[in-house]
Amino acid sequence: MSAGAGQAIVGIDIGGTFTDLVCVLPDGTLKLAKLRSTPSNPARAVLDAVAHLRDAWGVDPASIGRFVHGTTVATNAVIERKGARIGFIASEGFRDLLEIGRGNRREIYDTVLKPQAPVFLAPRHLRRDVPARLDAQGQVVQALDETALLAAVDELVALEVRAIAIVFLFSFLDPSQERRARELILRKHPQLAVSLSSEVDPAFREYERACVTAFDAYVKPVLDQYLSQMEQGLAEAGVPARLQIMQSRGGVSSAGVARARPVRLFLSGPAAGAIGGAMTGRAVGRRDLISVDIGGTSCDIALAADGVPLLRSEGSIEGHPVRVAMVDVNAIGAGGGSLAWLDGAGTLRVGPHSAGADPGPACYARGGTEPTVTDASLALGWLDPANFAGGTVALDVDCARAAIDARIAQPLRLDVERAALGIHRVVNAQMAEGIRLASIHRGIDPRGFSLVALGGGGGLHACALAEELDIAEVLVPRHPGVLSAIGLLAAPVEHEALVACARPIAGADPTEILARLSALDADCAAAMREEGHAQAYAHDAADAAGPRMTIRHLADVCFIGQSSYVSVPLASGDPSTMLPRLYEDFLHAHERIYGHSSREPARIVNLRSVHGIEAGFVQEAGGLPVGRSDEAGGQPGRTRRIRLPGTQAAVEARIIDRTRLAPGERFTGPALIEQIDTTTLVPIGWTGEVAPSGELILRRQAT
Amino acid sequence: MKPVTDPVLLEVIRYRLESIVEEMQWSLIRGSFSPVVKEALDASCSLFDADGTVIAQSRSNPSHLGSLVFSVRSILAQYPVTAMEDGDVYIMNDPYLGGTHLPDIALVMPLVVDGYVVAMSASMAHQVDVGGIMAGSVPTHATEIFHEGLRLPALRLAHRGVIDDGLLRLIRQNVRLPDTLQGDLNAQLAAGKIALRRLAETGVRYGWPQLTGLFAELLDRSEAMTRQALAALPAGTYHYVDFLDNDGIDLDRRIRIEVAVTLDGKGNVAFDFEGTSPQVRGPLNIVPSGVHSAAFYGVRAITDPAIPTNGGCFRPVTVKLPPRSLVNPDAPAPVNGRTPVMKRIASCIVGALAQVLPERFPAASAASVLVLAFGGEWPREPGSADATAAGAPPPPGRRFVVTDLINGGSGAALGHDGIDGIATDMTNGMSLAAEVLELEAPIRLLRCAIRPDSGGVGRFRGGCGLEREYLVLHGPVSISHRGERHYAQAPGLAGGGDGALATSEILRADGRIETVPSKGMLVLQAGDRLRVFTPGGGGYGPPGERSAEAMAEDLLSGKVGASTR
Repeated sequence: MSAGAGQAIVGIDIGGTFTDLVCVLPDGTLKLAKLRSTPSNPARAVLDAVAHLRDAWGVDPASIGRFVHGTTVATNAVIERKGARIGFIASEGFRDLLEIGRGNRREIYDTVLKPQAPVFLAPRHLRRDVPARLDAQGQVVQALDETALLAAVDELVALEVRAIAIVFLFSFLDPSQERRARELILRKHPQLAVSLSSEVDPAFREYERACVTAFDAYVKPVLDQYLSQMEQGLAEAGVPARLQIMQSRGGVSSAGVARARPVRLFLSGPAAGAIGGAMTGRAVGRRDLISVDIGGTSCDIALAADGVPLLRSEGSIEGHPVRVAMVDVNAIGAGGGSLAWLDGAGTLRVGPHSAGADPGPACYARGGTEPTVTDASLALGWLDPANFAGGTVALDVDCARAAIDARIAQPLRLDVERAALGIHRVVNAQMAEGIRLASIHRGIDPRGFSLVALGGGGGLHACALAEELDIAEVLVPRHPGVLSAIGLLAAPVEHEALVACARPIAGADPTEILARLSALDADCAAAMREEGHAQAYAHDAADAAGPRMTIRHLADVCFIGQSSYVSVPLASGDPSTMLPRLYEDFLHAHERIYGHSSREPARIVNLRSVHGIEAGFVQEAGGLPVGRSDEAGGQPGRTRRIRLPGTQAAVEARIIDRTRLAPGERFTGPALIEQIDTTTLVPIGWTGEVAPSGELILRRQAT
Repeated sequence: MKPVTDPVLLEVIRYRLESIVEEMQWSLIRGSFSPVVKEALDASCSLFDADGTVIAQSRSNPSHLGSLVFSVRSILAQYPVTAMEDGDVYIMNDPYLGGTHLPDIALVMPLVVDGYVVAMSASMAHQVDVGGIMAGSVPTHATEIFHEGLRLPALRLAHRGVIDDGLLRLIRQNVRLPDTLQGDLNAQLAAGKIALRRLAETGVRYGWPQLTGLFAELLDRSEAMTRQALAALPAGTYHYVDFLDNDGIDLDRRIRIEVAVTLDGKGNVAFDFEGTSPQVRGPLNIVPSGVHSAAFYGVRAITDPAIPTNGGCFRPVTVKLPPRSLVNPDAPAPVNGRTPVMKRIASCIVGALAQVLPERFPAASAASVLVLAFGGEWPREPGSADATAAGAPPPPGRRFVVTDLINGGSGAALGHDGIDGIATDMTNGMSLAAEVLELEAPIRLLRCAIRPDSGGVGRFRGGCGLEREYLVLHGPVSISHRGERHYAQAPGLAGGGDGALATSEILRADGRIETVPSKGMLVLQAGDRLRVFTPGGGGYGPPGERSAEAMAEDLLSGKVGASTR
């Protein structure tokens, strides 16, 4: 869904400290900037961005055709416990549903336990139950007691709640009771935000449904205010484009649709990164990708198969179930700031503790005495102390070496370099096993995939991780540090609708399935229409001019008796073969993911419909140097002595300035590619090439 | 500290081994059909060295911590490694030969390199049914192990990659759901194969002589760190006594658990169960593998969780089990219901140490999980041919069996109130969703609530128990009710009060109320209700020292002062 001719498109990724701003000018040129964040005032952030667009890049606000935003506001509201005060109303007898949870715990060996369910969303005095429930067939067992409901809501309003979550049993089979409750509540208290479980997550299992519904209500007033302020900022700045928000599943929606279902925004930021990773691969014709985004405290792993980021249908936040589709990002607590230490038996361990921002790694010379992964990188010569993060942070090599020496090298009777190599080897082992498990959980063998290095630290670890995982190729995008913002521009507009539908495949009625799918299609189409994309449905196959709607149907399927399901595409074109084919496809998917499958009876759990419009965004090769020789010898022969694994002494590594690398240029390890947002290590045995679109493609030489 | 081979490679290999067992566990859980495996994570995977010592263990239900150790030992006694061949698979489940209880079937597969066994993969999963007098093979009224199902000594299920068809047919013939059992065995086989393949790849890369050296080093290091942590605890012998309700047969006889924990100050720990009740008629007896699991849990809980778990952690541990006692029964005593005993043993071990380290360990938790197994038949479809056939006795409707697990409160600790209705110690099961229960059985859950005033009072309050109420829509429904703490409360610590007792009652459709004596087989008809109240956890510190703020919060939440019983 590209903007019209003569229009600029803008992506803005707001983090705690910095706001990444990207803009594609009408001529296709990509512009990037890092601005200071203004966390307390989102409208300010928008105004600052628009001012920068106008003043620095000459973009007329009126010419902005798309304005896409990735936000951490929903996540931060949860982490900082700054969501709204909400009331929780359940079917009679189920007031404590949200606090009891399922009864299991996360830390097995802790003797002193902490709450395992998200009680903070609605402590007991803010929870009520009222007569209203259905049975497993969707028949009314208890009619909604309207008087009791309003009495409960009055009490909650007196306790100053701003939103209400409603969870009646089996409401996903017939939402009438919940809808009636909302109607009554809003008639009397129109200021309240109301989240219905039958709309947020119409699926079995009341605790999980209650959780996601309560999270939705908890962040709704916060998001509503935040997005209103942003929209106001856009209007003030004279930007005609509608604000678009990245959702956890990797598609964007209008701010209006997003604020109606804010629980879909928890992974708004990482989703943009996953899209950016997939985009990097597409630029060089790779469709099976593992992206590793290595920051200070964590390593985020995301997979894309066939060019599309993989999703999980049941996400989580802080360990609590949030049953909406999210990009499948697996975080490992290991990054540049992870501390290296020796355990009681003298084994070298790295993490899970991190030096954090203060004091930071020892090399920041702010009083940190414990060595980190970044200290090891510096001691090995991989980082340029004068040019870290574009020279914004001066690094002190002596402090790094002293910390490694005192804490690791001396006790282990190693020299500093060997200890530093050891730190990298241990942290890489953790990351590599994390990547392996994340892949295996999706039935993927990582060996056929390309590794995409993202974040400030991805470039230093990627080749070592690839070797560990037997991966032959590493891709480094042009701007690994701001790829999330670029990913915003590449994401499709997308809406998903889901309905629980427990039917054995063998006995299911295709007519009924199709009827339910068309109801889901209608929901998605309504959202699309609301965002002004109705015309995308009109295009037939012959018309390639405008954006086209892609409609996908899926069924969540499991063997009867199993409780975890697999999402399988449903070919709804031919009703007579739809279900037999679904069964075969399910067996196939089960075999792929779990390594076995037998012709046991299977059942459908949920049906899903996903409507999407591709962004059609391709990063142009603009801004790249041109016309250099095909060997990176075009650059003056700057070198640095560094230490690498598998060698006994320091080696001379070429230092290459990324900004001066032209498409087609080649280079051979050992080399370090330096750029403002990252440093890429090309080890011995690796070669590199600059793709026409500017990405680095690093390849392991056959041994 | 011993001089080291390579402290870096050691850590790399440890991550590799842990990744292999996690992959194995994941494959098993996701591929399994058994709801107990899936929902209660009642399965575990381990890697063993050629001597039969655990080198890596999946993060699973702690009740499995020690279980595979004894199974592997038993298999090695029957089939020494020198007799094992590539592609062999060994199977066993007999509790008296190293198993836990009959539904837990162990599969062990050797990795053979150049004719030598270099390592083994082992898995255990709770099967849906292994025969015996009751569906599900955990009969509460068993009085000998022969009632509990099919006993498998260490046997070779496959030789050089070929399954022993005769053995498989014998097993299938003795269980109620042969296809489900075979499906779960297949999941175990697939998991084991994955582990062996990954181990083999690791061996190719690092070489087996080096790897076996590193395995030994990993064990030594976990042992050394465990000893360090144990030596840091105050030396001495600490006693603790608690009581289980009954064995389900002799309803008025309480069962005593006594443990003496001795720390010698040099890093050794001994658990002596002298004083524990003699073996009982009902199925609450526990075989040594289960006691060891509880002891191993206790060691992990009282040392440092950062120590990598492997067989080295358990070298400093000795366990003394009086013969013919609850914790060391003679065959053919029934043993299927050992879970509550294992939980209570773990709780007693932590409780013994809490006497000397009250600032570090909590008051007693409910340390019990109420297990309700519902069985019966759905009504027949009205108007079906079966239902209208005249003269013939009506054929049965579709059968159902569902199990619910309901936790009690956890114990309070210095600085922390207990948690309401939470799995503690050896188990980590999840309760059933009302929407799943009603879909799978003609039973409606009417209530699922925190039970006010059930947590022990104190400066820090014990966790509350829970209330659940079930209505039978179509009878008869048989319910196996396995409760605890109906007669012995979870004690408070450092002046804190005890948690409330559990209570369960049947509310008959005609208004009669019957109390359930902790354990029993109940039969409910349509319109009858079962109402259960699970026990609370113990409180910590004198109640007079509870802060005004906390007391106000208690009243506001209604967790205190609002009870109807």
